[in-house]
Amino acid sequence: MPFNQKPQKFNATINTVEIGCGEKAIKLGGESVFPFYTFDGPIDNAPKVGVEISDLGLGDAVPGLKEFYGDAATPAEMAKKAEAMEGADFICLRLEGGDPNGENKSVEELVAVAKEVADAVTCPLVVEGCKNVEKDADLLAKVADALQGKNVLLLSAREENYKAVGAAAGLAYNQKVGAESAVDINLAKQLNVVTTQLGVKAESIVMNVGTAAAGYGYEYVVSTMDRIKAAALSQDDAMLQMPIITPVADETWNVKESMASEDDMPEWGSKEERGIAMEIMTASADLAAGSNAVILKHPQSVATISKMIKELV
Amino acid sequence: MAKFITIGERIHCISPAIREAMATRNPEAILKRAKEQLEAGATYLDVNIGPAENDGEDLMKWAVQLLQENFDNVPLALDTANKKAIEAGISVYNRAKGKPIVNSADAGDRMSYIDLAAANDAIVIALCSNGPIAADNDERMVHCQTMLEHGMMLGMEPTDLWFDPLFVVVKGMQDKQMEVLEAIKMFSDMGLNSTGGLSNNSNGMPKHIRPIMDSAMVAMCMMQGLTSAIVNPCDVRLMETIKSCDVFKNNTLYADSYLEL
Repeated sequence: MPFNQKPQKFNATINTVEIGCGEKAIKLGGESVFPFYTFDGPIDNAPKVGVEISDLGLGDAVPGLKEFYGDAATPAEMAKKAEAMEGADFICLRLEGGDPNGENKSVEELVAVAKEVADAVTCPLVVEGCKNVEKDADLLAKVADALQGKNVLLLSAREENYKAVGAAAGLAYNQKVGAESAVDINLAKQLNVVTTQLGVKAESIVMNVGTAAAGYGYEYVVSTMDRIKAAALSQDDAMLQMPIITPVADETWNVKESMASEDDMPEWGSKEERGIAMEIMTASADLAAGSNAVILKHPQSVATISKMIKELV
Repeated sequence: MAKFITIGERIHCISPAIREAMATRNPEAILKRAKEQLEAGATYLDVNIGPAENDGEDLMKWAVQLLQENFDNVPLALDTANKKAIEAGISVYNRAKGKPIVNSADAGDRMSYIDLAAANDAIVIALCSNGPIAADNDERMVHCQTMLEHGMMLGMEPTDLWFDPLFVVVKGMQDKQMEVLEAIKMFSDMGLNSTGGLSNNSNGMPKHIRPIMDSAMVAMCMMQGLTSAIVNPCDVRLMETIKSCDVFKNNTLYADSYLEL
């Protein structure tokens, strides 16, 4: 009997969210099929790859990263280099120096960094806070104000501060809101519900449903993303039809496979190669599970993942 | 699994306000009841214009257009004994949000309503009866098979026949309640859709009791595989029960605000 292909059709679509302005603006989502299921229907907006930079510079980054950024001294100079990285679609600026338990930089100082970076590049920009919910409520609201007209995505509104971040980014200053839940599917939906109840348009929300590095309880990430896409498409759940963005580098460069020195673990081989491998493995799995965008650090990872996407979509 | 489908029953010519509105083509009362039901979470709205022997076609067209224009092409169940009126309603019906439902056929005199649905690519509610309530489930399932085969002969998808076991009143037919529930399970095991006026179970009970009985009934029915019901969506307890059962059945993903959705 000949094989008759029956495409899986859904009467539902992932929302399309545009980030950035002008020619380099990107669109996340818009598909009515499961990740990479191009045999079922078109994926007009292929998943996107972002490059993470930090207001703290490179710190003790691996040699390949230091070499790539060379003499770039400021975040704005780094952003210019990151923008030109092979395979990069957008930049993610992390304002981790704002952490009250770290350098505790002032909101004003960080807003100025964000502004310099935004002015230095033409590609779309994602701005991530310092992960302290009180500080981020203030910081991300002020960044949203300062970058008006740039159509940036702010990461993230969380359960504790979605009102402040959502109202500033999504209502007052017309930016895009990232809704963050830490691999908790019910909270992911709930955050979308309450953020839209604030008045933020569903089409202005991108979800960061969290990730783990490959090998660190990763199957829970897969089941979370799988269930979200299934609810969005097969159950037409409007509160889960937001595209997903996943900051990968932040997880993968902080696990022992990426951090252990070659002196301690000679049998594990090159530390830099291990870090790249962790980043690529996790990002490819996130994309296969449903992420519409991933955020990476290493140029080799960015190039590899970007090539993978191009070959699959 | 798809979410449970509620068909709002409150646009019914048995209500004096609705009868008056239909007779005078006054939109106000109809739009008000439609709005209430949709805000309460109804998916479909039933439009019962009664026998409508004189001006049924004109009335049904008017009602379909009125409701769909005001409520983003809300899907409708067209409910009347006047077949020409149903056809007239379908002729102006917009399918963007779902096929029209023909309410209703049975395995007796009303078999030809299945033909009407087949000819118009509509869903049909198929009462498992040929007039009187079926004596037992053997008889119910014979009616079900008869109508299913008739619809399929006419080219219908089996899932476009929504079988109604006919809910019976507790006060008088208490010993038949489990049979109705078992019939739903049989429909479900055959992969068929089902619906019905389940609040019939509580007919004649005090007003404050009915939502309790109806909620218990809908929960037991959903466990058995009922896929839809014709209900009063303004019954908060009932709708909360349906939404909660949809969570248990994994038809919808839980979030703390699930009752507000």
